[in-house]
Amino acid sequence: MKVGRRKFLRAGSAAFLGLSLKTDRPIAGSFVNDSFQMGHLIRDRSTFPPPKRIEKFPVVIVGGGIAGLSAAWRLRKRGFTDFVLLEMNPQAGGNARWGENEITAYPWAAHYVPVPGPKAEYVRELFEDLGVLKNGQWEERNLCFAPQERLFLYGRWQDGLEPAIGLTQNDRDQFQHLEDLFAKFRSSGEFTIPLELGRSSRFQDLDRVSFSDWLQQQGCDSRLLNWYMNYACRDDYGALAKDTSAWAGVHYFSSREAEEKGPLTWPEGNGWITRRLLERVGENVRTNQMVHRIAETKRGVSVFAGDTEFQSEFVIFAAPTFLAPYLIEGFPRLHDFVYSPWLTANLTLERLPDSRGAEPTWDTVFLDSPTLGYVDATHQSLRTHIDRTVWTFYWALAEGSPAQDRQLLLDKDWNYWKEAILRDLERVHSDIRQCVSRLDVMRMGHAMIRPSVGSVFSEERRRLIRRDGRLLFANSDLSGISIFEEAQYHGVLAAQTVLSHLHGHR
Amino acid sequence: MGILLFISVLLVAACGLIYELVAGTLASYLVGDSVFQFSTIIGTYLFAMGIGSALSRYLNRGLVYRFVWIELLLGVIGGFSSALLMMAFAFTQGFELILYGLVIVMGVLVGLEIPLLMRIVRDRYEFRDVIAHVLTFDYLGALGASLLFPILLVPRLGLVRSAMLFGLVNAGVALWTTYLFSAQLSGKRVLRIACLVVLCALGIGMADARRITATAEDNIYADDIIFARDTRYQHLVLTRFKDDLRLFLNSHLQFSSRDEYRYHEALIHPGLAAVPVPHRVLVLGGGDGLAVREILKYPQIEGITLVDLDPEMTKLFSTHPMLTKLNDKSFLSPRVHVVNADAFPWVDSNTDSFDFIVIDFPDPTNYSLGKLYTTAFYRAAARHLSAQGLMVVQSTSPMFARDSFWCIAQTLKQSGLQTYPYHVYVPSFGEWGFVLASTHEYIPPTSLPSGLRFINVEGLPALFQFPPDMAPLPMPPNQLNSQVLVRTYEIDWKDISH
Repeated sequence: MKVGRRKFLRAGSAAFLGLSLKTDRPIAGSFVNDSFQMGHLIRDRSTFPPPKRIEKFPVVIVGGGIAGLSAAWRLRKRGFTDFVLLEMNPQAGGNARWGENEITAYPWAAHYVPVPGPKAEYVRELFEDLGVLKNGQWEERNLCFAPQERLFLYGRWQDGLEPAIGLTQNDRDQFQHLEDLFAKFRSSGEFTIPLELGRSSRFQDLDRVSFSDWLQQQGCDSRLLNWYMNYACRDDYGALAKDTSAWAGVHYFSSREAEEKGPLTWPEGNGWITRRLLERVGENVRTNQMVHRIAETKRGVSVFAGDTEFQSEFVIFAAPTFLAPYLIEGFPRLHDFVYSPWLTANLTLERLPDSRGAEPTWDTVFLDSPTLGYVDATHQSLRTHIDRTVWTFYWALAEGSPAQDRQLLLDKDWNYWKEAILRDLERVHSDIRQCVSRLDVMRMGHAMIRPSVGSVFSEERRRLIRRDGRLLFANSDLSGISIFEEAQYHGVLAAQTVLSHLHGHR
Repeated sequence: MGILLFISVLLVAACGLIYELVAGTLASYLVGDSVFQFSTIIGTYLFAMGIGSALSRYLNRGLVYRFVWIELLLGVIGGFSSALLMMAFAFTQGFELILYGLVIVMGVLVGLEIPLLMRIVRDRYEFRDVIAHVLTFDYLGALGASLLFPILLVPRLGLVRSAMLFGLVNAGVALWTTYLFSAQLSGKRVLRIACLVVLCALGIGMADARRITATAEDNIYADDIIFARDTRYQHLVLTRFKDDLRLFLNSHLQFSSRDEYRYHEALIHPGLAAVPVPHRVLVLGGGDGLAVREILKYPQIEGITLVDLDPEMTKLFSTHPMLTKLNDKSFLSPRVHVVNADAFPWVDSNTDSFDFIVIDFPDPTNYSLGKLYTTAFYRAAARHLSAQGLMVVQSTSPMFARDSFWCIAQTLKQSGLQTYPYHVYVPSFGEWGFVLASTHEYIPPTSLPSGLRFINVEGLPALFQFPPDMAPLPMPPNQLNSQVLVRTYEIDWKDISH
């Protein structure tokens, strides 16, 4: 057999590489919690079999994310238990779902709640219920432990995520200028959480330009400043600054007091809240219930899920609002609801990787990475010795259009995302491949509402927030920003509206 | 003959490179700053080789004879260079002087080799072939050595024996040369005997290398290291100098057997003797069993629970004869129950109550340890206090880490406890501090167990007096979300270290 020179070289170099490469750990894993299939059934308006059973409840809640669970929490807290909550997935929680392995519990998406301000009274009430707020004091164990955040830049670490090293005087001036502007917006009282409580038309003009254009108008062209503003938008909205309404961009920085205490967080992130809520409302929750049709009747509303027709007086629609046109008979098309696609991954680490001498922190971000970095699930552990952990890796796909990026999520296989994630981490943690034993990826086509230009003051939203029929909307996307406090606010309000109607009727 | 000759070029080149690498590596190990060490050593070595090459022109007659002597010299000097350097570091002040002296001597000798070899063989080959062959094998030898050194030699043989092995190679080449150029040599007998002497010396050296290394290492660490182990949790080193036994955890001194009685009597008796009827005691940390030894001096105590993270630590202090002598076999007492667990989760999940709680953790040098000095932790620990219970916390030095000490006191206060800070002098530590904490007023004891060497009733009130340089400072409490103590501690100790 004649071996060609090229072939010989290839074999030779392969043997050489085999010798020189450190043996990497085999990495297990897969896509998890995929809900594309079910979503596409609804999108393609597949036909579902006619119902075989009828169940009657005065109230049906559709969707078991934070909005739906909060509505259920409010109903039960007011002594009303005659309702059912239908959740499509096997696990309730929505963006506050969690996972668990032999090392720790870990989040699948949302992983913290900032210490709520005085306006977020329902959130405070919930946290009093859960023992997180006691006599005006926040439970120390639920506040994020120090050290909290670190940014990797110029080959080294800095504390905090706002770039603070290697700044020119111009950079500093622009950061200061923006801080002053945000302080002014903050004191205007217009930028609140919940958003509805402060918003008036006073700064409506901000909703007509993108955040990046607005930054330009303020003379902010610093590269580091723009990186940070883009990071903030990707983190909270899954969008770049150019795709974000300036009103929403300002809201991010002006809606909260500079809070020293750090956010509230748990190993499983907001999954902890889901668990506590399920302890309180779990008996009303049914999972694996894919609602495929909702129709108003003369006496109320019928919700069809699986082979059951749930006849009700009121429906709280807490699922993402974009599903409404596909599920609710006669519901008009929506125009102002754009969603950002996301990907999260949980990495099981059998040992802690080289971190260039730094002690682990809660949240780690790399400057100039397209991803959002990772959060360490054992950070909130009370143990002093931690040798294995789970990292939750966050990636808002914001570079292309949402439709393009959703397609990318669908097209690429697990191996592609695994490699992309490890390569990102490898830049800082060079031995990461020798540490990771498992890497599971969760794809979310419509992970969170995107506050695009014009969406905050959208007429469509206002109409849905009115909650004046038998079908009451409750998802956080009604606010235009996808955060825990908004979801909880709309859920609680929808429940209260339903309760007042029911009492009125009787 | 040609190929044999060029193989000696290859071997000689390998030896030259190995000595250079040995010097660089040893200097990096011992002095640190590897970039600096390697740069200066390579530079000096190459420069010395240049001197050697320049000097080669003054050697005119008896080239082969001189070449053999050079090889022998190199074999001795290079072969013993590593051992010599370790001894120099351990026993002299002038490590650098000896290091660079050796590097220069070796460099000069190595620099002589190739020019001499070229001149020796120049009559047999064309000039261009001499250059090509000699240099080819020279570089090949260098490659071989540079690969062998990190992959095989250092891990398998260590630095001392690697150098000696190549000393043997040099001497071997010398001996071989006497046969290869037998015709051109006079005085072969003397040369060969010299070769054999050198080979023997290096052979013995190789066999005895372990002792050389051990002797040097013992002296580098000043005291005898009688035990060293990396457990899953920490690096544990036990040293002895005459009758002084010292324990280091992750390089931090934990106790010296000469004065640990001061520390442990002060940790236990001011508090425990003040508890009216103590039955049950909890010790968190304290895996050396020395605090337990003091607690066992109270016959009315029925049970002591000790929670320490590291099973290897508690096992060592239960079994090692020197250590059980020190702690009076305290872990073997039927009254003592040892639990190997992480303290915070244990305190959280356990529901027992105790009349005295001893919190004796390493200083808060990192955020992990810092969690054990927080209001969250003290609140959880205080839930285990019985109605008459008292708690004592080792609180670092109020002298060297004054802010840290008062931060710990403030943290206990913030946890809803009354605090009674005190301090003692422990020679190996310096001025050291503790905080007693309780839910009721603390009244110092009026009697103490007999046989104490340091604490007495009359001296107690003075412990609670703080002179101006250690007086209270207003500090924030340490909490999980702030961990101000870790930062404070770092600054405190940085301030006194320069």
